[in-house]
Amino acid sequence: MKTKQILPMLGLSLAIAFTAGCENKSNENKTALPENKTENSREVVIYSNADDEAIAAMTHALDNNGFKGKYNFMTFGTSVLGGKLLIEGSNIEADMITMSTFYVNSAQEKNKMFKKLSFNVNTLEKVPEYTAPITSQEGAIIVNTDVLKKNKLQMPISLKDLAKPMYKGFLSVTDVKASSTAWLLMQALVSAYGDFEAETILRGIYKNSQGHLESSGSKPLKLCEAGEVAIGFGLRHQAVRAKAKGLPIEFVDPIEGNFSLTESVAVIDKGANSNPLAMQMAKCIIENGRKELLENYPNVLYTGETSNSANKSKYPRTFERPLTFELYMAHQKISENAK
Amino acid sequence: MNSKNFIATVFNSFKVSAVAAVFAVVISFIAAYSIHYTGIPRIIKKLLIVCFTLPMFIPTITYGFAIIYSFGKMGLITRILGTQLFDIYGFNGLLLGYVIFTVPVTFLLIHNTMNYIDKRTIIVSKNLYDNSLSTFWISVFRPLLGTLCCAFLQSFFLCFTDFGIPASVGGNYNVLAIELYNCMMGGVPDFNGGAMISIFMLMPSVLSVLLLSYVDKFNIRYDKISKITPCKNNVRDSFFSIFGVASPLCVLGIFAVIFVLPFTLNFPYQSSFTLEHFIAAFTDNSLQNIFLHSLAISVLTAFFGTLFAYIGALVTRRSNIQKPYKRFIDFLALATNTIPGMVLGVAFLFMFSGTSLQNTFVLIIICNIVHYFSTPYLMMRSALEKLNSKWETVACLMGDNWLRSIIRIVTPNARESLIETFSYYFVNSMVTISALIFITGAKTMTLTTKIKQLQYVNNYNHVFVLSIMIFATNLLAIFIFKKLKSTKKRSLK
Repeated sequence: MKTKQILPMLGLSLAIAFTAGCENKSNENKTALPENKTENSREVVIYSNADDEAIAAMTHALDNNGFKGKYNFMTFGTSVLGGKLLIEGSNIEADMITMSTFYVNSAQEKNKMFKKLSFNVNTLEKVPEYTAPITSQEGAIIVNTDVLKKNKLQMPISLKDLAKPMYKGFLSVTDVKASSTAWLLMQALVSAYGDFEAETILRGIYKNSQGHLESSGSKPLKLCEAGEVAIGFGLRHQAVRAKAKGLPIEFVDPIEGNFSLTESVAVIDKGANSNPLAMQMAKCIIENGRKELLENYPNVLYTGETSNSANKSKYPRTFERPLTFELYMAHQKISENAK
Repeated sequence: MNSKNFIATVFNSFKVSAVAAVFAVVISFIAAYSIHYTGIPRIIKKLLIVCFTLPMFIPTITYGFAIIYSFGKMGLITRILGTQLFDIYGFNGLLLGYVIFTVPVTFLLIHNTMNYIDKRTIIVSKNLYDNSLSTFWISVFRPLLGTLCCAFLQSFFLCFTDFGIPASVGGNYNVLAIELYNCMMGGVPDFNGGAMISIFMLMPSVLSVLLLSYVDKFNIRYDKISKITPCKNNVRDSFFSIFGVASPLCVLGIFAVIFVLPFTLNFPYQSSFTLEHFIAAFTDNSLQNIFLHSLAISVLTAFFGTLFAYIGALVTRRSNIQKPYKRFIDFLALATNTIPGMVLGVAFLFMFSGTSLQNTFVLIIICNIVHYFSTPYLMMRSALEKLNSKWETVACLMGDNWLRSIIRIVTPNARESLIETFSYYFVNSMVTISALIFITGAKTMTLTTKIKQLQYVNNYNHVFVLSIMIFATNLLAIFIFKKLKSTKKRSLK
């Protein structure tokens, strides 16, 4: 009887030991590989939450300036990359990131994980010394003209319009608690109408978007593209792209303003293990990538920049107060009250 | 979130998960019953097996969109029928999504156990003049009771913890998984709040262990499993044939859109045929490497996962270890099913960041094994408990020790289930996303993390192209496993 009890236990522990042994060994092999290479030839890993067009522009800038084959872009959703930054700190695999600026700032505050940039950053507005903005992403109203026509709905011109009862069941917006895209909507409402009235309008908007208050920032556009709703609120450049594909998508710049959030580049401080190429690449992207980036994200960010892009919005605005986490939380509270 | 809303959300989660689980179990039971206990044509039996496991071959990311593009306002089925069948957002959409999502698991569990039930009890029961209902109870339902409970619990927890489907079609119907996502991965990540919700989500698993140990007493072991040809009954066979054709058609109907969509320019507004998306996806230079990563991870996960599930089941079902230890293993196995993938991913990130395991294949494989341990373990467990318990004793009398009897007698008899378990792990490792997205690195990307990237930049055409690629790989793998099973069966004869 005793053997019958001991043997399975033994088997179990042997199996664990065996597999653990194998795993360690294979892991050693894997981690040993990069060590053999010289420091300079080590590939720079870039984590980014940027959209396709921005990645393309940054890739072109790097490739045309001698960095071809020396980096590896890996893209993530904002929430996943945000989580990784907060949890991993400077242990993160990436040598460099591009990410929504206020996430970069809060990660720095919590983990002190970024290096001071070694090059000049001549931005129009002052930015922390460890970041340089790459894009400015604007919000806009997205309309599926086909659904709008079929249901004989008026084209909205303002965010306040979206609260009109006629749009009930035809609207989709993102929950500001889940995604920062909705912050662009919140900023516009608060800036134009003040906290109290913003809450009232938002209540109407949420009532109209029942069943379509989404967690993901790109979902309202997706629902417009699929013909599920007539109107959504999302990132302007994504709507521009959808329209260019020939879909029945139109974008409306709300009279309250096209508010924006920036995404920035930052270099991880890994002490002695830092890859020196990362800083050079960050510099290269800012110096050589901005021209192409301005095509799709037309807001000027640096002194001396001009933008002739056809994609310019009608009412570019920035919020009167700095976009801090505290402000974000305050706006989230207004949104929660409106639910 | 205030406590009143939270309670409503908890109630919603329980309700929709339980209803979906009941549907999944009933549908799977009818399907498995028609395969094992009726005389419907073989081709329909094969069709049932393929179509009921098919949803498992496709990443869950596509489920919600399959529903929207099939039953939505501009959906394929809506357009064919000329009218929208039902409002897809809210309870209905969730129910449909969850049932499709969990039917493969419930079906596999029930189908697998039915293999190990002696069909001759039907003859005995008939000879004793039992009425049909008693025969059904004695020879089919009662021996299956434990597995039916397992299947219900598996389905329940998969629904309870899934985030993808409610994110697509949840509508106003708030569920806990969405609350968890908004808390943990929302605009302001709150990991402590997220941990609280996930601990709350773990609670039902304690109840489930108690329930499982209660239904244990209904399990029956057979000395010998004999297959008999069911007696002829035209009415019964016609009924099950109709079910056997109609239900796979429903599944295929819902998923058809995934195979149509990537061949159109931009569904639903530009429906002209194009290969553009396939060409664009396949000209991506990194794709080959990523595909090989996925394949290697899946094979290794399947191998080690099956090994662990088998050892776990051996310990709890074929050894004399004290009951509390067995209960503990049962609990661990069930608990893994109640941890949402996202929570597991974040937990792994917390634990392994900065260690040499960070972003490695090894970590991904361990994560997959843990994430999917529950169903393989339960499959192995129910297979092992159906085998005659006296084999080890007899072997012992003949001079073999326990280990030798396991290797020489039990293992060959459990071969079919071992291969089933292997294929379950393989297929699920190919399609899993939620946990992996946190732990894959630049050099360890998989097909599904690539899909997640494409989804993030709104490139759904490519998402579907890669989903078809995963589907084809899984189909091929299943075909190989089937061949393996039949050759082994023949060689055993």
